[in-house]
Amino acid sequence: MTLFTKDDCVLCEQIKQQFDLQALDVKIEVLNSNDAGALAHLAWHRLVETARKRLPILVLDDSSSVDEFTHIERHLAARAQERGVAIQASATRAACESGSCAL
Amino acid sequence: MGVVMPLKAEAREMTTREVAKADSTDIALFVRTSQEDMMGWDRQRIVDALLRETYLDRDTAEKISKEVEKVIQTGTVKTVTGPLIREMVNAKLLEMGLEEARRMHTRLGVPLYDVDQLLVQHNKENANVPHGPEATNLTLAEGIKKEYALLHVFTPDVADAHLLGDLHLHDLGFIDRPYCSGQSLEYIKKFGLNLPHALSMAKPAKHAEVLLAHMVKFAAALQSHFAGAIGWDAINLFFAPYLEELDDRGVKQLAQMLIYEFSQQAVARGGQAIFSDINVYWEVPKHFVDVPAIGPGGVYTGKTYGEYEKQAQRFAWALFDVYREGDAAGRPFFFPKPLVHITEKFFKTEGHMDFLHHICEVAAVKGNTYFIFDRGETAKISECCRLSFKLEASDFEDAKEPWKMRYSALQNVTVNLPRLAYQAKGDDTKLFTLLTEKMQLAAKAHEQKKKFIEKLLSMGTNGPLSLLAMNLDGQSYLRLHRCSYLIGMVGLNELVKVHTGQELHDSDAAMKFGLKVIAHMNIVCAKMAESMGMKFVLEQTPAESTAYRFAKLDLAHFPEQAAKTVQGNLAKNEVYYTNSTLYHVGATMNPITRVDSEGLFHPLIEAGAITHLWLGEAQPDKEAIASFIINVFRHTQNDQIAFSPEFTCCLECGKTSRGLSEQCPHCGSEKVDGITRITGYFTKISSWNKGKLGELKERYRNQRQFAQA
Repeated sequence: MTLFTKDDCVLCEQIKQQFDLQALDVKIEVLNSNDAGALAHLAWHRLVETARKRLPILVLDDSSSVDEFTHIERHLAARAQERGVAIQASATRAACESGSCAL
Repeated sequence: MGVVMPLKAEAREMTTREVAKADSTDIALFVRTSQEDMMGWDRQRIVDALLRETYLDRDTAEKISKEVEKVIQTGTVKTVTGPLIREMVNAKLLEMGLEEARRMHTRLGVPLYDVDQLLVQHNKENANVPHGPEATNLTLAEGIKKEYALLHVFTPDVADAHLLGDLHLHDLGFIDRPYCSGQSLEYIKKFGLNLPHALSMAKPAKHAEVLLAHMVKFAAALQSHFAGAIGWDAINLFFAPYLEELDDRGVKQLAQMLIYEFSQQAVARGGQAIFSDINVYWEVPKHFVDVPAIGPGGVYTGKTYGEYEKQAQRFAWALFDVYREGDAAGRPFFFPKPLVHITEKFFKTEGHMDFLHHICEVAAVKGNTYFIFDRGETAKISECCRLSFKLEASDFEDAKEPWKMRYSALQNVTVNLPRLAYQAKGDDTKLFTLLTEKMQLAAKAHEQKKKFIEKLLSMGTNGPLSLLAMNLDGQSYLRLHRCSYLIGMVGLNELVKVHTGQELHDSDAAMKFGLKVIAHMNIVCAKMAESMGMKFVLEQTPAESTAYRFAKLDLAHFPEQAAKTVQGNLAKNEVYYTNSTLYHVGATMNPITRVDSEGLFHPLIEAGAITHLWLGEAQPDKEAIASFIINVFRHTQNDQIAFSPEFTCCLECGKTSRGLSEQCPHCGSEKVDGITRITGYFTKISSWNKGKLGELKERYRNQRQFAQA
């Protein structure tokens, strides 16, 4: 799995806090102004336009993608359960009011 | 000894103030008079010219003039001309190591031999320029302005990058105008044909035919002020309020007039037809639904554009009826190019499948239709070979007063990508560093052209860009602050081939590396835009002549590497690089794979991208193409596609047949010419440059694979 994120994206941050992504074998791609590789990877998965609307985006092992926050949580939670990895419960949902949760 | 002093700078002392005041008519008259007078030798004129045009001191200028005079006095030169004296002075400046003064004292011109050739041979740099006296004028004027631009508008590093082929500065011969533009018919509907310094002024049109006449004249005026395409937004919608008085026959007649007016207007600049585009919508675009409609006489009709959907559809349908018929000989119309926007709303609008079949039939039969995919909330104005202006929040605000929706790209600068791979020798870091450097140089070129255009515009309606400075709606016609600055690319396929050993279509790894290059360009554009306050955007370069020019220059400068890399026929000098981010034209693949794979680049290339599907003599069913279009819209990222059939037109019997043939299948004559798309538009193949001829021979034609897709 690959999780596309951005540095100032509060929703991306929340996912990273909730899940031990390394233990879940989820690769993180950070879309910033210095990483053409991450942007190219995003384009390869046909997700540039989606990322312009919202982040994070999770690419599953079958190359399909999930961009709805609760769906991302569900997929990661399922994998955590499979692998016996603990989840850090979050009491409140981060809100992306600044518009920073997009490319 | 006859002494001819033909040019103002060489013939008469004029103070800077006098020069600034003199208009071009005064100067031209003076030149003619001086030629007739055969003015006598006066060394002082050399001194005056040097002091006026360079920073030399008087003593040095005097010294140079005396040395030149000494040579003249030897009497070996029978006829002394102004240009000859200037050459002698320049030689003296070089001898003395005064390079900057020599540069400032340069004479722009064309050798006699070149003019002789130009007058009789067809210039094929742009296939849209015919052969004739007007075209020669255009070529000569462009030649002088190119030299001027490279000497005087751009700094030596930028000019050298162009001359060496690191970059291509497009349309240098039109240095004193912006590149391409997107127009709104609403401007002339509201303000009439009211152009600065025009001999007469027309009030807003009251009838559809008059509106069309205004549109055509305005387009011709705009062609004189822009280097490239003149695109028109939502043309069927904006004509709609004028169509209520017309029955279906009248609407068809109007459609016919519009297409013939634009396709036949070969009497404008350089004998060129206006490179024109019309954006067509089946639905009423969301941003125009609630906008009050302007009707006959320039007054509001009391309805919104949303209420004119049926009239707009009638016109759209009629336009494609005309395209399907073709011209009197059954040939496809070259201009105006019809760009149909396929949107989510399109599929929710009544009658869309019938219209889709209609435009797909035109695509199959004549190839005219361009399918523009505006997915989600995206809306754009398209034009030129593939340029798009994506509408932003401020544009949607402008849409409430649509005459404000005028867009322009000020210049286009293309990076020679294969050369970077030759220089990087397989080193990724070096490759991306070089790419960044070239893009920074391109941005510098944009900054310099912007400064030059700003200077011309600052002279207002009495200056050379009076039309662009006219202010009928509270802002100048050219909204410079909204202009974009295009950075293009040629030969991504060859860069990847040199750097990775594979062409883009060969493997996923090659394709991923290609994406990384374009992603890097996208990121650098964004960074430069932020730091320089200019809207830099990537555009796929159409590269009608650039793909040929870069290949030839690389064969000269990097002969060993380029000989293994360029496409085409090296022995015949029919060489080229693959356009922009396209796959090699000869790559064998089904159409949906090409559209899908090339489309991966498109979201990174914000100012426009296209995939061409070469049909050859195949004529797919309209149903197959329609289903293909729906698939492309729903399942790919591709921005725009066009289908290109090929035709043979007989110069003897005048008949047109499908496919490219050496002989006319009707009368057997060998006097035939081919017609197909060169890059983004149809032309006669006889006007193509060698590079494009090489490409034509290698194009893979998709035959019967659309239904399967």
